[in-house]
Amino acid sequence: MNDARSMNRRRFMTLTGSTLAMLGGGRAFAQGQDGRLRIDPTAFQPIPIAITGFVPGSPSDGDVGNGVTQVITNNLKRSGLFAPIDQAAFIERISNIDVAPQFQNWKTINAQALVTGRMTRQPDGRLKAEFRLWDVVSGQQLTGQQYFTSPEYWRRIAHIISDQIYERMTGEKGYFDSRVVFVDETGPKERRVKRLAMMDQDGANVRYLTRGSDLVLTPRFSPNSQEITYMEFGQGDPKVYLFNIETGQREIVGNFPGMTFAPRFSPDGQRVIMSLQQGGNSNLFVMDLRSRSTTRLTDTPAIDTSPSYSPDGSRICFESDRGGRSQIYVMAAGGGQAQRISFSKDDTNASYSTPVWSPKGDYIAFTRQGGGQFAIGVMKPDGSGERLLTSGFHNEGPTFSPNGRVLMFFRDPGGNGGPSLYSVDISGRNELKVPTPGFASDPAWSPLLSSTSG
Amino acid sequence: MKVNVDKTLVASIALHVLVLGWGLVTFSSKAYVAPEESLPVDIISTDQLAKMMAGQKTGKKEEPKPKVEKIAEARPEEDAVGKVTEKKELIKTNSTPEPPPKPVEKPVEKKPEPPKPVAEAKPKEEPKPQEKKPDPAKEDPIAELQKKLETKKPPPKPVEQKVAAVQQQPKPKERTFDPAQIQRDLDKRAATRHELSGSALNASAALGAATGTAANNVATWRGAFVAKVKHCFTPTYNGQDADQYEADIDISMKIDGSLASEPIVVAVRGPSRSIAQAVAESAKRAIVQCQVYSFMPKQQYESWKLIPMTFGLKDML
Repeated sequence: MNDARSMNRRRFMTLTGSTLAMLGGGRAFAQGQDGRLRIDPTAFQPIPIAITGFVPGSPSDGDVGNGVTQVITNNLKRSGLFAPIDQAAFIERISNIDVAPQFQNWKTINAQALVTGRMTRQPDGRLKAEFRLWDVVSGQQLTGQQYFTSPEYWRRIAHIISDQIYERMTGEKGYFDSRVVFVDETGPKERRVKRLAMMDQDGANVRYLTRGSDLVLTPRFSPNSQEITYMEFGQGDPKVYLFNIETGQREIVGNFPGMTFAPRFSPDGQRVIMSLQQGGNSNLFVMDLRSRSTTRLTDTPAIDTSPSYSPDGSRICFESDRGGRSQIYVMAAGGGQAQRISFSKDDTNASYSTPVWSPKGDYIAFTRQGGGQFAIGVMKPDGSGERLLTSGFHNEGPTFSPNGRVLMFFRDPGGNGGPSLYSVDISGRNELKVPTPGFASDPAWSPLLSSTSG
Repeated sequence: MKVNVDKTLVASIALHVLVLGWGLVTFSSKAYVAPEESLPVDIISTDQLAKMMAGQKTGKKEEPKPKVEKIAEARPEEDAVGKVTEKKELIKTNSTPEPPPKPVEKPVEKKPEPPKPVAEAKPKEEPKPQEKKPDPAKEDPIAELQKKLETKKPPPKPVEQKVAAVQQQPKPKERTFDPAQIQRDLDKRAATRHELSGSALNASAALGAATGTAANNVATWRGAFVAKVKHCFTPTYNGQDADQYEADIDISMKIDGSLASEPIVVAVRGPSRSIAQAVAESAKRAIVQCQVYSFMPKQQYESWKLIPMTFGLKDML
């Protein structure tokens, strides 16, 4: 008995010893590191950049030079990735862009990059725009370009230059040379006039595309930015229309026996996908714009709507209430088995709608309704990594910037006011109001104009 | 034969193992850190810390960063260098020449003959005589023993040793505990004293932060270097694959803490070439912009002559 106990004790002692040794050993092993010192950024910081006034090539070009400078500064600042330095802090005044600047003067004000440029009216009436982007720290020119354009397109030139700077500094494609189509809302709440409107991404150059006699909803750009598809309440059933921006012509898409809605172009621009109402349900259909043939994609006793293609055109995400509550599903572009991807962790009653696939393919943006709040968020196409970017009384209808980095959506504060457009970085940072002439809803971002033939 | 287990004993041992094991894991997190030469660090007072985290009553809730009117210096550089060199000399005297470290009478005879070494070998000793730490070594009984064993040593080296000894000799007597003097010596705050300092300027008033980050409390050159470069590193990419981007950059340094050449991009990794390149360029700008790294300990120059680094985008979101 006594012997047994001592045996026991001894065994426990060894056990204890080895346990302790293991614990200690584990700590020691965790110290192993490779030889390189590693640095990761602590917090996001915008890049400090100095944008000097564009030098006028002749005395009459002063205004356009200032305008271009202002547009570039505004673009880069609104992106949230750059911190343009106030011109009042500049030590050096650039008067000739062909001479290398004194980089010490720009290092002093902590600029990492420097933009110089010149606008010159040519004898043939065109406008010549030149710019240089300098790395202040190394003193090297990172990029330099010149463009010729008609004087009325000076804003577009400023956007293209902004894109060049953005792309060279961040490695990502820019999105400034793009447009947004939206529903402009005017008048009192009970008799709202809704017109289709289009503007530059920064809110300038607003153009109205429809007169406002009929209600319009969910406009979407074609991949070449030349056409818009949208839903309009005309005589009879609401229908999906196709609108040509250049000619102003419009036509009904397809010949369906009921209400069609929630249209969107395929990435190649050859097809329009939409919902067709059939009794109390709706299903997804796709129409080939050339052959005019239509194909049914879903056949369920539920509401399937808001379809959106993946950028490679192989898959579709859409919203459906087949499970009881509206959720996001993904299926092959040709139809077939759909897989639910939206699962709220904290609120089982939450519903998800208006999914949009990012042009980069890495995220699907959505509107989430739950707990009396409307939130805008993003998740990966497999449903993981859900992140809510903004939340409130009413936020809806996200649309991606051409580079997939920024979301635009509309927000209605409730009460007697009306909706406005907002933009937010997909990280959730940098939420900004987008200037519009009146109330605005249902934004849709165009692709990058300079990347398309138009 | 049946093994009879005393349940209370088992419970006792199990509990002990649990408590000891827990203690080992919890309290030993720093136990196996490889020793590294440390840099002098200022000790900051509670009100200095409070200043770092200070908020203003006019601040807005949504303003998360504390107000910063002046960028905090990483370290008082001049002093760091001075102190470090001084220490280095002393280490040398203790280790290289074995000779009698307690030459009470000898220095008196020898001092007149080498006038030059006095000037060049120990000029730095004079300004801060009261900070001499290694004095105890002189009274070391082992040293006395050594002295007895080695009666004579090669004459050239002992010279500087003895000079040092001469100056140090009177100190033990003068040495008095004067807190006011220590405080005066420690007070290097003048430069940033009246400003709210931090790692990045922030002009807007804030309600304050939960933790203070203004002073990067780093004690090794690695830590100090990383903290300073980090401060200038402003990459912009934050896609979901951000953690796959890395840039390996080699930095060759001069002994004064400036760059010997432009940082060399050894390798970049990441799904998009242009983004990876932008990360590398952002890292290069950070390294160049944040010099001079004059806090680097000169006597360890060999260890940081070439600093291989990896810049990544972990935790960008």
